Amino acid sequence: MDIGLLAIGAGLAVGITALGTGYAQAKIGAAGVGAIAEKPESMGRVILLVAIPETMVILGFAVAAMIMLLLGGEGA
Amino acid sequence: MIVTMTRLRVVGLKRDLDPTLAALQELGCIQLLDAKNVHPGLTAYVPAAEQRELETLGYLLVRLDALLALLPPQTGLAPEPAPETDLASVLQADLDANAPGLETLAQQRHALSNDADVLPNYATTLRKLSRLTPSMTDLADYETVALLINRRYSGVLEVLEREMRTVAGERCTLVSDQVDSDTIGALLIYPRAFATQMQGLLGRVQVNQVSLPDSLRNVPFADALAHIERRLQQIPGEIAAVDTRLAEAGRQHQARWLAYRQAVQRRLEQLRVRASLGETEHTFVLVGWVPERDVAAARQLLEQRLPQDLVIDELAPSAEEAHAAPVLLEATSVVRPFQFFVRMLALPRYGTIDPTVLMALFMPLFYGLMLGDIGYSLLMLAAGLVGYRRFAAGSGLRDLVYFIILGSIWGVVWGLAFGEFFGSMGHDVFGLQPLWKERSAPDALPALLLFSIALGVVHVCLGLVLGVWQAWRLHHAAEIWERVGMLVGLVGLFLLVGVVAKRLPAGWATPSVVVVIVGLTLLIRGLGPIGALMAPVELLSTVGNILSYLRLAAIGLASVYLAMVGNIMAGRAGSLLVGIIIAILFHALNIALGAFSPTIHSLRLHYVEFFTKFYEPGGEPFQPLGGR
Repeated sequence: MDIGLLAIGAGLAVGITALGTGYAQAKIGAAGVGAIAEKPESMGRVILLVAIPETMVILGFAVAAMIMLLLGGEGA
Repeated sequence: MIVTMTRLRVVGLKRDLDPTLAALQELGCIQLLDAKNVHPGLTAYVPAAEQRELETLGYLLVRLDALLALLPPQTGLAPEPAPETDLASVLQADLDANAPGLETLAQQRHALSNDADVLPNYATTLRKLSRLTPSMTDLADYETVALLINRRYSGVLEVLEREMRTVAGERCTLVSDQVDSDTIGALLIYPRAFATQMQGLLGRVQVNQVSLPDSLRNVPFADALAHIERRLQQIPGEIAAVDTRLAEAGRQHQARWLAYRQAVQRRLEQLRVRASLGETEHTFVLVGWVPERDVAAARQLLEQRLPQDLVIDELAPSAEEAHAAPVLLEATSVVRPFQFFVRMLALPRYGTIDPTVLMALFMPLFYGLMLGDIGYSLLMLAAGLVGYRRFAAGSGLRDLVYFIILGSIWGVVWGLAFGEFFGSMGHDVFGLQPLWKERSAPDALPALLLFSIALGVVHVCLGLVLGVWQAWRLHHAAEIWERVGMLVGLVGLFLLVGVVAKRLPAGWATPSVVVVIVGLTLLIRGLGPIGALMAPVELLSTVGNILSYLRLAAIGLASVYLAMVGNIMAGRAGSLLVGIIIAILFHALNIALGAFSPTIHSLRLHYVEFFTKFYEPGGEPFQPLGGR
């Protein structure tokens, strides 16, 4: 398979999930800052909530790595 | 670990209540419970006689705090004793005698600081207008008004001059000039006799007058600037004189007032906790949680202070009551700073696992793995050591810095494993070779990913094992089934992955599927009615938790590639100086990201992936009488 297409696929896997993560984190972060302003002791929970959507981009990274490692080896 | 608590009950004669509470405050190891909840038959203690004392002392404490806030901080004060009896009267008399003088001094200080802040602004404005003033210094019976007008509204001056002449005829004048690029200054001069009409006119035209402060109300406008400049020279000396008097007052009163404050707070605490006591006609009953290790000391002190007058016994709490006990975390000095990260989420419930030691073990390891660069780690270590000396013991920042120090040490270890010193610089300049894998090499990725997942498997499975152990201790059968089912299901999935990856013989496929099904069945048993629906979701969610550890490799790789880009760009800059600047900028950015990102991600791996397997938040902090 064309290595260029594989690279685009891997890039999309990370890029699109990163956009999703960023969108979710923006919403959660804005609400979280409001919560911390009201209750500073909620800092830990807010970090936890903000960090949850990162799983998306990590899974995107896993998919990208699989594309490059499993298919890239055949394409090269 | 969470300190084991015991419930202590003290019964005594009402006349001994104050010395008993004073002794318990001195010990600082008992958190009182509402005695009526423990013994429903008891009458609530009604502190009617003490209610007035409570209100008076509360009011005096507010006054005392307000006065102490006026005094400059003093060091090396010799402690003074507080009055043994009649605290409220003594304090009231003291405050009445000394507060007025001190408040006057504080008001003077405030007014002088205010002038020091405000007068320079007036001086700037008057300086702008000063070029207009010389011509009218000798106008005795005339009044002067200064205006500052935005250049865009300069047309208003013509209107104003026309209206002025209508009011005062030819005996008035308006001079104006540009004072800066945006502002036109104007002076209106008119006979005092027309002052009222002119003020009315200015009100109608709605222009901003330059109004002088109250202290300059009777100073002629032309003299105002000189007066302000004179005042600005005098003010620092006057402030210093007031500060000297305040410092003197501080030396005279502060030590005594601090002692009073402490005594008032202790007495107020004694009065407030009475609401949680129970009483009979002649006795009081107090019940509280005491750390098991302190019970003997508490008993000894109470028996020493009030021999034969108190009945002290330990009450065995029910399982439910024990679960609601307050939480006091205890750890060795090596791991104690990690309590900061546990508290940042929430305290664990009493009787559950305190994860501080586990955090101290894994968090720096994960941090170092993500950082994985000798150069960055050494810089971080140096910054951490400086910060550790600078921040106060017990502060959150010091705990954070302690974690950075441990993480940086691991960063050096992983840096040696990856052969990284400011990215590829170590290899390019010093010929540094990796002990394990060079992260930027193409063949390193599979190994790094597998290693990250392996760490995830160990960490998540450890969490599940701890969860099983905790559920066993707490007799939570459903949670035992659930967590054991999850562990068995994961083992089945790992075997299946081994078969698919051809690391295990094909014949293992069927037994692996059977193990997964057994795991799911146990999960369904633990999850209850919705188990059939939720069990596969829960199992996949835990697989997601394990895959989440891929960030250990991903964050590290991002750091490596950023360092590599910095080095390549610096090498291609064409000039040594530009190259050094580019390299410094990139590596500084990478270090900043390296301090922040691995911290957040190690924290997240603990909070989201690890803690969800066993951690029970919701513990109430131990708040003993006398606050230790």
